[in-house]
Amino acid sequence: MVRKILTNKGAQIKIQQMIFMILVVFFFFILVGLFFLSIAMNNLKKSSIDLGEKGSMLLVSKLANSPEFSCGNAFGTSRINCIDFDKLMALKKNAGTYSEFWGVVKIELRKIYPESNIECQSANYPTCGIIKILDKNVKTLPYSSNFVSLCRKETSEAGIYDKCELARLMIASQDRT
Amino acid sequence: MKEELILGKRGQEEMVGFAVIIVLVSVILLVLLGFMFSNSKETGAVESYEVESLIQSSLQYTTDCETYIGFLSIEDLIIDCESDGKCIDERDSCKVLNSTLNDLITKSWNIGEKSAVKGYKLKIIVNEAERLTLKEGNETMNYKGGFQDFSRRSKNYEVFLNIYS
Repeated sequence: MVRKILTNKGAQIKIQQMIFMILVVFFFFILVGLFFLSIAMNNLKKSSIDLGEKGSMLLVSKLANSPEFSCGNAFGTSRINCIDFDKLMALKKNAGTYSEFWGVVKIELRKIYPESNIECQSANYPTCGIIKILDKNVKTLPYSSNFVSLCRKETSEAGIYDKCELARLMIASQDRT
Repeated sequence: MKEELILGKRGQEEMVGFAVIIVLVSVILLVLLGFMFSNSKETGAVESYEVESLIQSSLQYTTDCETYIGFLSIEDLIIDCESDGKCIDERDSCKVLNSTLNDLITKSWNIGEKSAVKGYKLKIIVNEAERLTLKEGNETMNYKGGFQDFSRRSKNYEVFLNIYS
């Protein structure tokens, strides 16, 4: 009789142990699942940002070679990644007309060599280094940039010549996350 | 009494087993996490398209070396250097090329030990013979490269640039 009670008690303890184990394992796997889900969600957010940045990067190259920016044939033969400084100054004046045209919220060009931190206005052109074409006050993704050649016509004692400097074209899209 | 002892011992064994499983799963999770983070993109890293565009834009840069045809671009200066030319002010075109290219690259990226860009190496090859090599900083295994070629006066010019990070 005593042996039977002991065996029953043992079986009950075993069942309790098993239920406890199943519950613990169940919650453990739910926690692991939640952990991976949060990582996956984070990755999804990252890849959406990456896609936005890649789009911006492609747009930088497209912009530099678009008719509104590119040198065309003004400096001899057609050049890649060449921006006409005069066109840019004209575009700066009419930036409002193009504000929705490129689908970005910031377009900026910075002279790298020779370096200058003066913002370009009609009065100080061409002895300046920063040209802000679009500068909307919204939350943006990190800047995408590309090197370009910033060319203009310059006069010297010998006459008019083409002067090209090194610059960085930077654009930023709106952060919609 | 003996049976109770046996039951207790079995319970202990199961708990040890459970602990082993948790430790194993945690190790696997840690390994997976490490793998995921090691694959994440480094910020501030240089992209190949940037190196490519820097070469293209630099070749168009107008230097202060003036000759009878006007101010020379880097591309013209490479050609002038190949024919051992000089600027109007008697400066050696190769020396001007050297210093201008170095300035262009160092102004484009902040090169240094603590910076994302550790160094650079630029090579100019004319008809498969190395004509000019410029170096600064450290050469590492992690680099992005760009290349641009052009032909002039029946000679082939190739410009290679590696940016080490």
